[in-house]
Amino acid sequence: MKLFKNCLLAGLTALTLLGAAQVTTAQETDQVGRSTYLEALKGKKVIFVPISQGMDLNQAWVVVWQRHAARYGFSLEVRDPSGDTNAGIRAMQGAIAEKPDLIIVQNPDVQTYARLLKQAQAAGIKVLQVNMQSATQTDSYVGNDWIEMGRLEMGELAKHCTGPNAVSHKVVWLAGVQTGAANIYMRTGIDEVLKANPELQLVSDQPADYMSEKARQITETVLQQHPDLCGIMGIWDNAEVGAGAAVVAAGKQDQVTIVTNGAGSATGCESIKNGLLDVIFNFNAPIQAEIAAQQISELLQQPDRKAGSEKTIFFGPITRVDKTNATGRNCWKLDELK
Amino acid sequence: MAPSASGPNCTAHQKIEIAPAAPSRDGLVGGSRLKAAEELPDGRAAGRLPLGAGSEGGRTLAGSGKSDTARPGIKMSQELVVVAISAVLFVVFSATLNNFLSQGNILAILKNVSILGTLAVGMGFIVVGRGIDLTMVAVMVVGVAFSIWISTWGVDFTLAVICGAILVAVIGLFTGIMVAVAEIPPIFATLAIASSVYGSGRIVFASDVLYAPSDIGWLKFVGNGTILGIPMSVIIFAAVAALMGFFLRKTRFGRLVYATGDNPNAARTTGLPTRPIIVTQYVISALIAYTAGIIMLGLVTGIDTRLYNSSLIYDVLLVVVLGGIGLSGGQGGVRNVIVGTILVGILTNGMTILNFSYTSQNLIKSVILLGALAIDAIINPRDEQTSQSGDI
Repeated sequence: MKLFKNCLLAGLTALTLLGAAQVTTAQETDQVGRSTYLEALKGKKVIFVPISQGMDLNQAWVVVWQRHAARYGFSLEVRDPSGDTNAGIRAMQGAIAEKPDLIIVQNPDVQTYARLLKQAQAAGIKVLQVNMQSATQTDSYVGNDWIEMGRLEMGELAKHCTGPNAVSHKVVWLAGVQTGAANIYMRTGIDEVLKANPELQLVSDQPADYMSEKARQITETVLQQHPDLCGIMGIWDNAEVGAGAAVVAAGKQDQVTIVTNGAGSATGCESIKNGLLDVIFNFNAPIQAEIAAQQISELLQQPDRKAGSEKTIFFGPITRVDKTNATGRNCWKLDELK
Repeated sequence: MAPSASGPNCTAHQKIEIAPAAPSRDGLVGGSRLKAAEELPDGRAAGRLPLGAGSEGGRTLAGSGKSDTARPGIKMSQELVVVAISAVLFVVFSATLNNFLSQGNILAILKNVSILGTLAVGMGFIVVGRGIDLTMVAVMVVGVAFSIWISTWGVDFTLAVICGAILVAVIGLFTGIMVAVAEIPPIFATLAIASSVYGSGRIVFASDVLYAPSDIGWLKFVGNGTILGIPMSVIIFAAVAALMGFFLRKTRFGRLVYATGDNPNAARTTGLPTRPIIVTQYVISALIAYTAGIIMLGLVTGIDTRLYNSSLIYDVLLVVVLGGIGLSGGQGGVRNVIVGTILVGILTNGMTILNFSYTSQNLIKSVILLGALAIDAIINPRDEQTSQSGDI
């Protein structure tokens, strides 16, 4: 009986000690640097000034960033000018006046915010630019390598529209907004490919202004002039569906190759399946957003680093998507990102 | 106002112009007075009945087309200037550009202006009544986006389109009431309403671009179908224009629109139901804008609500003003809209073929507009005899 009592006592003591030891271990095994990280991010203020929050890529970015913000305790405010450049300037001015810890900006063109970005940096606010750059370089840029994008798209057309089997060497570049960073840099890439493939003939170079109806009108007119058109390249899948509609209406979907780029949302994949588009160079907006989120946390963790003192650039991945791989992660839906 | 101040060929109507400035209620006296007017031998009186002094004879009759033919010789109106410019451009492009004159390209020109033209018919209708409707593009994109949005709940798409039409009509009704009853100047009322409509749409739909279901037969037909080789979009535009032309010229209501536009105060004083007329106008223009949106949905399978931020609404106004419908109301008609639309169509097509840059296209378009207005100002100078209250 006494033995049993002693055993029970010993067992209980052991258990208590073990439990205490476990508590102590739990207190001591905080992930290295995590609390410092949380401390650094907690209560920090980030303002995002997009071009328009109605675009698929913007929605993906913000969903991802909001997830980070909620998890790590910083605030993210979106000031959406909804495609209006003047409203964008006001949003930027307002953001600078509020002195947040970080401004994220998607530039409508290379000039509009150039001075405002300098002002922001002078006021000690760090600036992260996403996907659309300004003439002013700031702390960080995360987004596409647009020159490479131009090369890839025109390169794709070069594959189809050169050589003896090509229907013709005629190609079209449906631009976006001519002063936009994407447009300017893509053009550099396009010119490189055109130089390397002198037989390619650029028969039309018109901006569709990211509008599907404008893309349709230009394509319809060009198809009348060049019934043997071989390829069309564009700048945003949601606009080039208009070009696709014009090609389908002319019954030339087997003749004309339509190449564009996009954020990788499911609507783009649908357009490929519906035969409106052939190839989308998918820059996967959710992955871009994750890269940008790393930049957000880095910039917020370095409060003593002077704004604009170190400038970095991160290019996101680009995946070629056609009807063979228009599935799964190449076709995200917003709800899946949340 | 002294009746004698009316135009020289107005004498036949003087007897009915001595209207009692009685505090008649809208709509009560209008009908009977109109009957008296319609019984006049030349049948033109309805349009000019309430028009008081200060209106030039030719202008008060605009739209009926009869005054011009009654005059010896051809009056070089702005409409004719635009026709002349279009003809010159057409000949130059035909001579210099390959395939410009092909049947395919002519149809492409018409197809490409069908949306602009349809919107311009609606805008022209409002401007004739001395209004302006800056909500058209907002109503178009939000109405169509709304119908796609409710179809994503599982509602049958055709039913959803009808729901969209109802929403659009309600917006038009609200705009009309703001203009006619609350008497907010239309330019401000519609500017504000356009912004609220678009804003509400943006909050509800989340995305800028909404795609219609891909298996709707009639929608595909609107986009790609043809009747006797003519694209459906062109046929719809022509139908809207023809209906509007008939409505404006042949119906009593149409004549009342001219009367209201020419001199709203006089129209009201003489007992025309100006408020219901104005409200109806905005409902109709909203429905026309919606029709244009459906054409676009058929053509490109989706609707881009960012169109609200584009210059489309100004292009619509450009077509209306270019065609010769004065912003001061009471003049012009569907023919002017068609003339303006065709000029813009030819110009855009030619410049696209010539591969002009966007900036130079806009520059050329504005220079042509300015040129047309300048030529009109030289040919038909304005002075106190021809100007009208409310001229801008």
